[in-house]
Amino acid sequence: MPLRYRIRRELPRIASVAISVAILAVLFGPVLLLALFSFNDSPIISLPWAGFTTHWYEVAWSDAEAREAVTHSLTVAIVVMVLSVVLGTMAAWGLTRLRFRGRAAVAGLHGSVLVVPWLLIGVAGLMFFSRVEVPLSLQTIGVMQLVVTFPLVVAIVSAGLVRFPRSLEEAAIDLGASQWQMMRHVVLPQLAPALAASAIFAFSWSFNNFEVSFFTGGFEQTFPVWVFSVLRHSQNLPMVNAISTVIAAVQVVLVLGAWRLMRRLSAGANDEELADIMVGGLR
Amino acid sequence: MEAATVSTAAARPRTSRWRALLPPFTFVTPPTALLVVFFLVPMAILAVIAFEWGPLSGSSGFTLSNFTSIIDDPLYRRVTITTFEIATIAMLAQLVVAVPVAYVLAYKAGRFELPLLLMMVLADELNPMVRIYAWRMLLGREGIINSGLMSLGVIDHPIDALLFSKFAVIVVLSTSYVTYTVIPIYAAMKAINSGLFEAARDLGAGWFTTFRRVLLPLITPGIFVALLLVYIPLFTDFASPTLVGGTSGYMLGQSVNDLVLESGNLNAGAALSLMMLVASALFAVVAYKLAKIRQLDT
Repeated sequence: MPLRYRIRRELPRIASVAISVAILAVLFGPVLLLALFSFNDSPIISLPWAGFTTHWYEVAWSDAEAREAVTHSLTVAIVVMVLSVVLGTMAAWGLTRLRFRGRAAVAGLHGSVLVVPWLLIGVAGLMFFSRVEVPLSLQTIGVMQLVVTFPLVVAIVSAGLVRFPRSLEEAAIDLGASQWQMMRHVVLPQLAPALAASAIFAFSWSFNNFEVSFFTGGFEQTFPVWVFSVLRHSQNLPMVNAISTVIAAVQVVLVLGAWRLMRRLSAGANDEELADIMVGGLR
Repeated sequence: MEAATVSTAAARPRTSRWRALLPPFTFVTPPTALLVVFFLVPMAILAVIAFEWGPLSGSSGFTLSNFTSIIDDPLYRRVTITTFEIATIAMLAQLVVAVPVAYVLAYKAGRFELPLLLMMVLADELNPMVRIYAWRMLLGREGIINSGLMSLGVIDHPIDALLFSKFAVIVVLSTSYVTYTVIPIYAAMKAINSGLFEAARDLGAGWFTTFRRVLLPLITPGIFVALLLVYIPLFTDFASPTLVGGTSGYMLGQSVNDLVLESGNLNAGAALSLMMLVASALFAVVAYKLAKIRQLDT
C-alpha cells in the first residue's frame, strides 16, 4: 500500500522524465547510432557489430568531392552569416525604431519570405537566373541563401529591440551622445545576445540549407547537396557516416558555444529572457 | 518620431539632426532592394513562365494549358492526395507529441527547462541531410532495426515497410519539424497564469477537464502558430520523400523537381509551383487569422 501510494505521488514526475527522455531519444538516438556506426569495421551498416575502426574517417578525409563540398558550405555560410546579421540588423532597426511611409509593406515583405517554402524560392531562383542568363555558381547559391536567411535575423533582432525601451536611446541623445556613441554604448550592449543568436542561426540555416542550394547551384556542390546526391544514387556508405559525425559534432559544439556566449553577454538577464532570445522569431 | 515633441526645446535640434543624418531609407533600402530583386522578381518570373507556352509547343503568348495539363492528370491528383495525407498525419503526430513535451518544458522541468529547450533547438540545428541519413540507416532493409531484430531472433525476414514507404516519410518529417511545433505551444503555455490551474482544481476539475476546458483553449493560438510554421514546409518537402519515400511516399515537391530538372518542362513546373505557392499563402492567411482571433478571445 505505501509503495502504491508513493508511485501515485511520484507519477507526474516519472511521466515528465519519461516524456523528456523519449523525445531526446527520438531526436538524438538516430544521430548517435550514425556516429557509432562510423566506427564499425564493415562496409555494410548493419548489426552485428564488426569491430572498431577509424578507416572510414581516412576514406572520408581523402575524398576530394566531400572535402570540396564541406569547404564550399563553410565559405558560403560564413559570408551569408556576416551579411545576414548586417542586413537583418539594419532592417530590424529601421522597422522597429523609425517611421516612414510604407513601413507595413516593407515589414510584410520581410515576413513573407519566412512563410514561402524554400523549394519554391529555389525553383523561382533557378528560373530567374536562367532568364537573366547568369550561370549558376556558389555566388547564386549565396545570394539566394542570403534572401531566405536574413529575414530570420530581422525577426530575432526586432524581438530584441522591442524588448528594451527606446527611452534609453532618447536619453542618451538628450544627454549629448552622438548617434555613434548611442549605438555603441546603449543599443549594442542590450542587443548583443540577440546578435549572437542571430549569427549562429544564420550560420546554421545557410550551412544546412538544401532546397535553395540544390536548385540554384551549379557544379560546385554544398555539403547537403553532396550528401543528397550520394544517397540518391547509392546505398548507405560508412564514409558518409564519418563526415556526418564530424559535421554533427561541430554543430553541437557551435550551438553550445553560442549558448554560453549568449549567457555571458546577457549577464543581467533571467532565464525567461534567455529562453525568449533562444526561441527567437518563433514567438 | 514622438521623441521630438516630448523632449525639451534645447534637445530638439540634436534629435532632428539625428534624423537628418541617417534617414530611414539608409537602413531599410539595402535589405528591401535585395528582397525585391532576388525574391519578388524571381517569383514574378515564375508566375509569368507558368502562363507561357513551352518552347516546343510552337505557340506563344498567354495560356492556361500548363495548369490544365496538371489538374487533368490523375497522376498529379494521386500525388496531391498522398502529399496531404503524409503532411497531415505528420502534423497530427507532431501535435500529439508536442503538447506533452511543451507541458513538461513549461511546468514540470524546473531547472532542466532551459537545457531541454536548448536540446530541442540543437536538434533542429543539426544538418537535415545527416538526420535523414540517420533514419535511413535505421529503417533500411538491412538497416539497424531489421538486422538487430533478426539477430535477436524476433523476426525471420526483414520488415520491408520500414523504409521507402509513407511511414518512413512521416517519421522523418515529424522528427525534422517537431521543434517548431513544440516551441509556439510552449510559449503559449508560459503565458498562462498558473492561478487558473489552481482555480480549476479548487473547483473540483479533474486533470482531463482542466486540460480540455482550461489548457487547450489557451494554447490554441500556439497550435495555430505551429501549424503556420510547420505545415507549409511539410507539404512542400522534397528531400525526405526522395531519400526515404520510395514510390509509395512520392510527394508534390518531387513532382516539381522532376518537371523542372528531370524532364525540363519549366512551364509545367512553374505552374505546379505557383499552385503550391497559392495553397501556402491561403493556408498562412487562415492560420494567421485564426491565431490572432483566438488571442483576442482570451
